[in-house]
Amino acid sequence: MFRLGATQVARTTGARNYATLREIEMRLKSIKNIEKITNTMKIVASTRLNKAQRAMASSRVFNKSDSEFYANAEPETPEQSKTLLVVVSSDKGLCGSIHSQISKSARRRAAELNGEVDIVTIGDKVKTQLLRTHGDKLKLSFNGVGKEAPNFTEVSLIADEIATLGKYDNIEVLYNKFLSGVSFEPSKFSVFAAEAIEKAPGLSKYELESENTSETLAEFSLANSILAAMAEGYASEVSARRNAMDNASKNAGEMINSFTILYNRTRQAVITNELVDIITGASSLD
Amino acid sequence: MFRQAVRQVAKQSSSVVRRSYATESSSTASDALKLSLALPHQTLYSEAEVQQVNLPSVNGDLGILANHIPIVEQLRPGLLEIISKGGETDQYFVSGGIATVQPGNKLTISAIEAFKPDQFDAQAVKNLIADAQKRAASSDEVVVAEANIELEVLEALQGVAK
Repeated sequence: MFRLGATQVARTTGARNYATLREIEMRLKSIKNIEKITNTMKIVASTRLNKAQRAMASSRVFNKSDSEFYANAEPETPEQSKTLLVVVSSDKGLCGSIHSQISKSARRRAAELNGEVDIVTIGDKVKTQLLRTHGDKLKLSFNGVGKEAPNFTEVSLIADEIATLGKYDNIEVLYNKFLSGVSFEPSKFSVFAAEAIEKAPGLSKYELESENTSETLAEFSLANSILAAMAEGYASEVSARRNAMDNASKNAGEMINSFTILYNRTRQAVITNELVDIITGASSLD
Repeated sequence: MFRQAVRQVAKQSSSVVRRSYATESSSTASDALKLSLALPHQTLYSEAEVQQVNLPSVNGDLGILANHIPIVEQLRPGLLEIISKGGETDQYFVSGGIATVQPGNKLTISAIEAFKPDQFDAQAVKNLIADAQKRAASSDEVVVAEANIELEVLEALQGVAK
């Protein structure tokens, strides 16, 4: 009781140079709890990482046929047209610089295109970041995605919504490319409109039978690119979260060590003090 | 019909070329058709060498052999047949997608869903058709459009499911 009163006094004066045992104990406990949480999050992220990487590998193969077609057909983006930037990220934080990197690259791209852009965001985090600087350009945003590996149904719903924005000659999907377990890199997919595909110089290499194939192709490749972008983004996010949580657990561990030492020292000091009190009290009676 | 003729001609001409430039053709890895069949969540074939692939395209079924000219085809719901080098046939029912023959003897198929015919339950298909038909008679345009797409897939599936 007395000690509690003393800490309160100390707190109100603010000039406290000596933490009491109770305070150190409480901090130690809360750091231990934080370590438990970050450690659990790390374990969850590393189990999810395998699944995310599998999803990413299959979406890469799925998207390859498109990218190969574009590489052969070489469509050109018409000059002086508005570009739609689709920025792919997710809702959840605690994963390092994933969201700030992608929004930084979106800002850079918007500046490169002299602000002639409209922006669509997938994920709340990147939306709040871009809303600050490009609030007027933001046309559409999606949330509630990216909790697990994307599936084609949600992607086609997103692509449908994007299609309602009207025609864009040039769509760029910005995402975090998964490079390895410890690194990612903001990259982009270009999606071309049907007209751009029809005018592509390399299109003569292919035989297109029906009239609307290029349109179907444009729509399909938008969905495809978003799927691949989301799968890559998800994998990078999970691995970034694992690393962030790993670092957090390590830091917490270090803090626990130093606080345990401090706690033990303080405890010893308190005991010594009490012993001194008792002994001086006893000796004064003699 | 016409395409078949073209293909035969193409095949003949390529074999002529092969004969006259035997050394060159042996240096270009192989003449087999390389198939990649990918779903969004799974890769079924990855650059596997196959004999022939029969595609259900919106313009009719077509068979693709090695050295086919590059094409882009939209798939319709139907049976995809893959004939391997050994002559065995693998069948998949696909709901739709895009097939592209790339220059360099590669066929890439991006399908949304693909399952083997024996994985379907004919009774469930029938129930779903009845359900979709009911909805196709609705007054809401969106519902009708969705039901019609479902019917298209299901009716194609009906012939396949055993």
